[in-house]
Amino acid sequence: MQNNYDIVVIGGGSAGLASAIKASKYGLKVAIIERDNKLGGILNQCIHNGFGLSYFKQELTGPEYANKFIQMLDGTNIDVYLNTTVLEIKKHFEILTISPKGLEKIVCKGIVLATGCRERPSGAINLCGSRPAGIISAGSAQKIVNLQGKMIGKDIVIVGSGDIGLIMARRLRFEGANVIGVYEIMPYPSGLKRNIVQCLDDYNIPLHLSKTVVEVVGKDRVKGVFVAPVKNDFSFDLDKREFIKCDTIVLSIGLTPSNELANQLGLKQNPLTNGCVVDEYLQTSTSGIFSCGNGLHVHDIVDNVTRESERAGENCAKYVLGQLNTTTPHSVYFGDGLRYVNPSVFYEGDEILTINFRSSKIYKNADIIVKSKDKEIRKINKKIILPAEMESVIISKKDIVGDLIVTIKEHKDE
Amino acid sequence: MQKYDVAIFGAGIVGAFIFDTLTLKGLKCVLIDKGEDVCLGASKANSGIIHAGYDCARDTLKAKFNVLGNKMYPEIAKRLGEPIGECGSLVVGDKDSLLILTELLNRGMYNGVKNLEILDRSGLEKLEKNLNKNIAYGLYAKDAKIISPYHFTIALVEESLLNGGEIKLNYNVNSIQRQNDGYLISDGKENFMANYIVNACAEGVNEIGSLVGEPAIPLTYTKGEYVLLDKDEFGLACRPIFPTPTKNSKGILACPTVNGNTFFGPTAEDIKEYETSVTLSGINKIKTSILKMIDNVNFKRIIKLYAGVRVKTGDDFYINFNENKNYFVIAGICSPGLSAAPAIAEYVANSLIEKGLQVKAIKFTPRRPYTNILKLSNQELSNLIKKDKNYGDIVCNCEKVTKGEILEVLNRTPFKLTTDGIKRRLRVTMGRCQGSFCYPRLIKIMADYYNCDEKEICFRGKESLIVCDIKEGGIYAE
Repeated sequence: MQNNYDIVVIGGGSAGLASAIKASKYGLKVAIIERDNKLGGILNQCIHNGFGLSYFKQELTGPEYANKFIQMLDGTNIDVYLNTTVLEIKKHFEILTISPKGLEKIVCKGIVLATGCRERPSGAINLCGSRPAGIISAGSAQKIVNLQGKMIGKDIVIVGSGDIGLIMARRLRFEGANVIGVYEIMPYPSGLKRNIVQCLDDYNIPLHLSKTVVEVVGKDRVKGVFVAPVKNDFSFDLDKREFIKCDTIVLSIGLTPSNELANQLGLKQNPLTNGCVVDEYLQTSTSGIFSCGNGLHVHDIVDNVTRESERAGENCAKYVLGQLNTTTPHSVYFGDGLRYVNPSVFYEGDEILTINFRSSKIYKNADIIVKSKDKEIRKINKKIILPAEMESVIISKKDIVGDLIVTIKEHKDE
Repeated sequence: MQKYDVAIFGAGIVGAFIFDTLTLKGLKCVLIDKGEDVCLGASKANSGIIHAGYDCARDTLKAKFNVLGNKMYPEIAKRLGEPIGECGSLVVGDKDSLLILTELLNRGMYNGVKNLEILDRSGLEKLEKNLNKNIAYGLYAKDAKIISPYHFTIALVEESLLNGGEIKLNYNVNSIQRQNDGYLISDGKENFMANYIVNACAEGVNEIGSLVGEPAIPLTYTKGEYVLLDKDEFGLACRPIFPTPTKNSKGILACPTVNGNTFFGPTAEDIKEYETSVTLSGINKIKTSILKMIDNVNFKRIIKLYAGVRVKTGDDFYINFNENKNYFVIAGICSPGLSAAPAIAEYVANSLIEKGLQVKAIKFTPRRPYTNILKLSNQELSNLIKKDKNYGDIVCNCEKVTKGEILEVLNRTPFKLTTDGIKRRLRVTMGRCQGSFCYPRLIKIMADYYNCDEKEICFRGKESLIVCDIKEGGIYAE
């Protein structure tokens, strides 16, 4: 393999695969750097179905979804570096990698960061009590059960209602575990509605909202947990705390973009997503470096990761070919009702603009309103808007006269 | 039957220093602990500070051994190949704190501490960028240092083992009998003899003491809770920053670690029984105290909570050599125990030699630090991977630890390690994701190395199994 490329995509999961394939269609030399020994990323351990409904109009498992893209590589000249971790990216796009083959320098003209996300650790939620064996993140549990063929315990409490936690509740139940319940600190679940129904309701696994684990008990192995109701100010009602006997705690307490390389490069970060600040092309604060997928902001559906990452690959190719129009930038802001918005910047033109965002709480019968200089250019009525489900609005840039602001307004009459 | 000059009970930092010091003086020593690894008590969960010695009350063992120990550390660190941060420390306070800081300075000078200086706000700002606006003065102790207390304990034991020391772990001693030619020590399965007994068992001190027929030493426990922050927050405190001390405690400090993290703590809560749980109230106390001292703190970047227990007996260390019984007891080694440990070990060694133990010259085998790929040049790393491709196989992505480094530690350690033991030696699973990516693979690598099933790998403690078999039939078997 050569060491000079037009584009290097870092990460060979759903995001990396989609952007590399798109970029290679522009006749450019593209490489994927993947730290695992196979492509597909976390999809490989997601053996449940539900992937691809939107992108392929087919219901696929995670590995099946990944394989569709891995097969598409056959028709391309994309080089794939497996078992390879990026140690450092220097300015001028010089990438230093490590693998069992040794250290390698790879030089390129454009970079797509498709590094995915990681799970937040127990410290992030200040999990109190003892620190015995039997506390495990949902992703680790998924890997152990699905890929390593081992079980993680018998009586299981799940902390947090993230999607992997919900999926694992059902998965562990399948394998004969007693899944005692899912405890969510917020008054609403953080996973998708369909996962609540298909993973919990269908198996009679209770979901406790506004209730969380306040203390872990057990010296060598988990012996149980104390759970308590959460008050409106997020303090715990310890008078009403109760003990639940269990031997395992699965943490599903949120994902956050793996932004180490972005930080190392000094790319501007968005504290609301913990990913990079990007423009409409998914270009970061350094020209030629693009970010997409869960490494940019955590998605709930892989199909959306694919679509976003295709755009990143396409735009990175255009950048390398000198075809990216970045004249007359305008900002995208968000107002009431939103937790964040992506992108932060767009450019005047006549193409379409995709805006992604999450709401800050549950809205019933509300309008998503996009305004430009006080002129309402888009209004979408939604029966329900959930923080757990990423929303997107597509608008034509022709209609826009300046900076954009996105807000959510609830209908008062209900 | 195997016979040793000295049997040392307790494989914490004090036991490790005594073990190593005596071994290097040519004495035949054995280190005994009931745990499955060394460094399972206070030595793995303390602040890791080598104090200058201004805080100890005048004319105490604490003051004496702290000041002596502080001076010994740089050379020991060099010998062991372990990092030491010679960063100094600060005690800071508001505009009314000058009197207390002056008293600390005077006490320090009395204790023999050099390089102490009181700084005003502008002096402080040259050292630290994140001090709260109310901080007006600080006592700068240039001689204070930071180390990793568990790395040192592990390295000292390793050095001793390389030079003729022996270790018995998982050893639950149940009888110690004085005979004409020394002590007969037994756990009911394995017996051995030793001329001298050194008891450095911290909370277990009276278990050994009673077997030797010594009266119980009254112990009290003070729990210290900590929070550890993501490496991104490094630089919040460039050295240990203490608040002005109270009667009971040096207070909750902000401190960097030699590995590039930052931590806050410890609290000081008196507890009845030895336990290391973390409490909501403790964490809140830490947050409130730190905000009075440090700005720009992002508590969302906490990656881990932990706690350690200081076992005390009275206000000072309790160090006693019963010459009739050939029995040394070192108890109540709370703060500044880490700072004092090398000097205590030297004192113990000298006392035993005075009593008649013969020093012998040994052919010293130096301990080589564990490989750390991040400390190698690109050329060195390339060569290493050429020799062994496992050094190019990253397992822990947060801390960039390779399979080669893990296998090296497993190879070098003469007893079966737990995942927690690997973590303390190499930082695998200690990074910002706390093992959510690499934990499953680490278990697999360990099981392969030990040629056992993954379900036989422990986390920490004998009953701490991590995984089990999948139940045949799963949900349908019910």
